Amino acid sequence: MLACAGLLAFVELGTGGGSKAAPAVRVVHITEHDFHISAPRRIAPGRVRFQVTNNGPDLHELIVVRDPSGAPLPMRADGLTVDEDALDPETMGSLEPGAPGSVRGLTLRLRPGRYEIFCNMAGHYMGGMHAVVLVG
Amino acid sequence: MRAPAFSPYAARGRRPIAAILLTFALCSTASIGLSIWQTARSQHRADVLRVAERQQTLASEYVQQVMLAHEGVRADPELTATILRLSTDALLDGGDAPAVPGNDDDARLSPTTDPTVRAQLHQERRLVDDMTETGAAYLAGRPVTSVPLSAHEHLTTTDPLTRLRVLAMLTADVALNTSRTIVAESDSNIANLIVMQAVLGVVGLLVSLTLALALIAATRRQTAHFRSIVDSSTDLVIVLGDGGCRHVSRSVTAMLGVSEDAVLGDGIVRFLHPDDRALVRSAQNSGRAEEIVFKLVNQHGEWRTLEAHVTDLRHDRGIRGVVLNARDVTERVRLQDELVRQAYHDGLTGLANRSLFRDRLEQALARSARGGGSVGVLMLDLDGFKQVNDTLGHDAGDQLLRVVAERLNETVRATDTVARFGGDEFAVLLDQTDEALAVSVARRALARLTEPAVVGGRELQVAASIGIAVRAGGGGGDELVRDADVAMYAAKDAGRGRHEVFRSEMARDPDELLGLDNELRTALARRELAVHYQPEISLSGGEVVCVEALVRWTSPTRGPVGPDVFIPVAESSGLIAELGEFVLREACGVAAGWLRDGIVGTGFVMWVNVSGKQLTMGGVPAAVDRALRSAGLPARNLGLEVTETAIVPGGAADRARVELQQLHDAGVGIAIDDFGTGFSSLAQLRHFPVDMIKVDRSFVQGVERDAKDTAITANVVALAHALGLVAVAEGIETDGQLAHMRAVGCDVGQGYLFSRPAPAADIAAFLRGARGADARAA
Repeated sequence: MLACAGLLAFVELGTGGGSKAAPAVRVVHITEHDFHISAPRRIAPGRVRFQVTNNGPDLHELIVVRDPSGAPLPMRADGLTVDEDALDPETMGSLEPGAPGSVRGLTLRLRPGRYEIFCNMAGHYMGGMHAVVLVG
Repeated sequence: MRAPAFSPYAARGRRPIAAILLTFALCSTASIGLSIWQTARSQHRADVLRVAERQQTLASEYVQQVMLAHEGVRADPELTATILRLSTDALLDGGDAPAVPGNDDDARLSPTTDPTVRAQLHQERRLVDDMTETGAAYLAGRPVTSVPLSAHEHLTTTDPLTRLRVLAMLTADVALNTSRTIVAESDSNIANLIVMQAVLGVVGLLVSLTLALALIAATRRQTAHFRSIVDSSTDLVIVLGDGGCRHVSRSVTAMLGVSEDAVLGDGIVRFLHPDDRALVRSAQNSGRAEEIVFKLVNQHGEWRTLEAHVTDLRHDRGIRGVVLNARDVTERVRLQDELVRQAYHDGLTGLANRSLFRDRLEQALARSARGGGSVGVLMLDLDGFKQVNDTLGHDAGDQLLRVVAERLNETVRATDTVARFGGDEFAVLLDQTDEALAVSVARRALARLTEPAVVGGRELQVAASIGIAVRAGGGGGDELVRDADVAMYAAKDAGRGRHEVFRSEMARDPDELLGLDNELRTALARRELAVHYQPEISLSGGEVVCVEALVRWTSPTRGPVGPDVFIPVAESSGLIAELGEFVLREACGVAAGWLRDGIVGTGFVMWVNVSGKQLTMGGVPAAVDRALRSAGLPARNLGLEVTETAIVPGGAADRARVELQQLHDAGVGIAIDDFGTGFSSLAQLRHFPVDMIKVDRSFVQGVERDAKDTAITANVVALAHALGLVAVAEGIETDGQLAHMRAVGCDVGQGYLFSRPAPAADIAAFLRGARGADARAA
C-alpha cells in the first residue's frame, strides 16, 4: 500500500500547503464512506488536487491507478484484496488510511484517460469502495 | 461604624498561609483523585480492549465454523454469532460481554461514550448482523443476495462464500480499527492525564514554594516584631544556653558599649564580675526562678549592677536557654549604699553612729559567746565641750568633734569601732579585749586627746571622761553601754580627764535622766531645790571672808541629784534663768540676814554661780537687781562666779561681757570659776572686770603628787596677784594641800578641809563659831 512515484505522471504528495506552489490546481472533492466512494465521473486533465474526506466511521485509504482498459483490477491470491504490487506501474498516488472525519489532499498531474480510485483495506474494495474517474 | 478588627501579632499572615495550604491540599487531592480514577479506568479499558480485539478473531472463526458446518462438520457458528452480537452490544451500551468458552471469562463493560468509537461499534454491529444473516442464509441454502445489507456495503459478487468472507473481513477490519481507536483514545487520555498531573505537580510545587516563602516571611515578621519589642524595652535580656550566651538584647550591648559578637558564647564571662560568675553559672544550670544580682563591666571599665529575674525556658523549643530579664540597678544600689552609710554613720565625723555601734556590739557579743574572749565598751564624754560650743560657736565645736574622732580612731585597732552617739558623746567598741587592755586604750585615748588642738584659730586642750565596761560573752549590748555610761559619769564626778571601770556599786541608771527637765520644772515650783553654802577661808587669817552659794536638789523619786546632772538639763531646757534667779534670791536673802544679824562683816561677799548659758541668754543684771532689791542687800556684798568661757571674746559672750561690766560697775564682784580649765588668756583677764580667780580643784588636788600642778597653782596665784586679783584655791581636802596653797601665797581656800557645803542655818552656826573663835583668839 506504499505510494511510489509514477513513471508517466509527476506526482506531488502534500497537504494543503503544497497547493501554493502550483497556481492552476483544480480541486476535486472525493468523499469516502463505509463502504463506497463518491467522486466526480469526469474531470479535466492537468494538475488536480483530490480533497479526500473520510466520512467513516471506519478508516479508509485512497489509491489512484490508471486503468485505460477498464478490465477488472488484478486480485491477490485471497481473491478479496487488490494486488497493489501488480498495479504499481499504473499507480498515480495514494493516501494512507485516514481516521474518520479527516480531510486530506492528494495532488496529481493527470493525463487524459480512465482512472480507478479505491480503498484496499481488508474487504473494503470488495465491499464496494471503488470508483472510476475519467480525465479529459 | 465598624469596630476595627483586632489582629494580634501572632495572627498576622495566618490567612494567606491558610489559603495557600488549602490550595495545596486541593491540588494534592485532585492529583490523587485523578490517579485513582485513571487507574480504575485503565483496568476497565483493558477489558474493553480485550473484548474489542476478540471480535476480529471471532469474525474469522465464524466464517470457518459456517464453512465447516456447511461441509457437515460439527460446528456451532450460531454461538459465535451470538457472542459477536452480545459483545458488540456490551461494548456499545454496557453490560456483560459473554466469555468465549474455554478461552476467557465474562467481562462487565460500561457504555462507550466516545462518539467515534460508538460510530465504529454501530458499524461493527451492522456488519455482524449482515455477516451472520448471510452465514445463516448460506447454511439454510437460501440465496445470500437476498439478505439486506445494512452497513451500506455494495457487494457485487454473488458467490455466497465470497460474500460471507468479505463481510467477515469487513467486520474484522472494523473491529480492528475500533480497537485501535480505543487504544488511541486511551493513549490520548493518558497523555491528558500526564499533562494534568504535570500541571497539578507544577502548581503544587509553586504553591509549596509560595507557602514556604510566606511562612518564612511570617516568621521573619513575627521575629522582627518581638525583636523590636524586646530591643525597644529598657529591660536587659540575656539568654544563656549550652555554649554560653545565646542572645542579648540591644539594650545590653548598648549598656556594655560592645558589639553583640563580643558578648555571645563565652564572651559574656569576660564582662561578668569574677565574684558573680559562680552565681550566674548556677542560675544557668538550675534555671530556678529567682532574683539574682550581678555586675557587668562596660567598655569604660565601669561596673554596672544588674538585678535579674531568672526564667527557665530550656524546654521552649524557640529559646532553649535560661532567660535573665535584668534591670540596671546601679544607681539604686549606689543610693542604697549611701543611705545605709548615712543610716549607720555620723554625718559630722564619719564615725559609726549609734545604730551601727549597737549592731557591731551585738555581733561582737555573739562572737564572744561562741568563741570566748571579752567585749569592751568605752563611753567618752568631752569635758567642757559645752563651753567651746557656747563661746567659740558651733563650727568650732564641730571642728573639735572631728579632731576628737580622728584621734580616737588613731588610738584603737582597726577591728575596733569608734562611734559618736551625738553631742560630745563618743563610744568605742573593743572586740576581743580584757579589762587591762580596755584601760590601756582609755589611757592612750585620754593622753592623745590632751595634746593641744587648733580649733577656730585657737589652741585648745581637750579633756574627756571615759567610762569602761568589759564583759565576757553574751548579755545585752544595751546593758554594757549603760554600764560604761555609768562608769563615765563616775569618772566625770571624780574629776576631769579621768577614766573609770564600771563596778556594780556604781549602778545609777542614766535612763533616769529622761524626763528630768519636767521633774526639775516641778521641783522649782515645789521648792524641792535648796541652796547650800560653803565658806571660803582666808589662808593668812583663818577667818571666813566669803561664802559660795551652791544649789542642791533632792528629788522625792530620785533622791539627791547632782548639779552636774541637772544644771545641763536646766540649761538645755531654758529653766536655767528661773533656777539662777531662785538661787540669787535665796543667796541674797541669806546674806542680807547674816549682815543684819551681824554674823558676817560688811566686807562679806556672797558668791553665786552664773552659768554661761544664763549669761548668753541675757537679763542677768536685771535679775541681780531684783534679787538685791528684794533682799535689801548692798551690791558689794554679792559676787558672781563665771567660767572662763563666759568671758572669751566673740559671739554671745560679748553681750555677757557687757552685762558683767555693768554689774561690776554697780559694785557686784566677779570671779573666774574653775580657772585653768578654760581657755581664757591673760589679755582678757587684764581687760575684764575680774576681782577674784578660783584655781580649779583638779590642780589643787594634784599639788601633792604632780609637780606640774604645783607649778600651775603657784603660777596662777602669782598671775592673780600680778593682776591685782584675789586668788582662791578650790577643793582643799588635806593639810598638805592647804600648806602648799598657803606657801604659794594663795589668799583664800575652800574645801572639805574647812567645811562641806551646808544649809544656811548650819553655816550660820559655823560662822558664829568662827567669829566666836576669832573673838576668843583676839
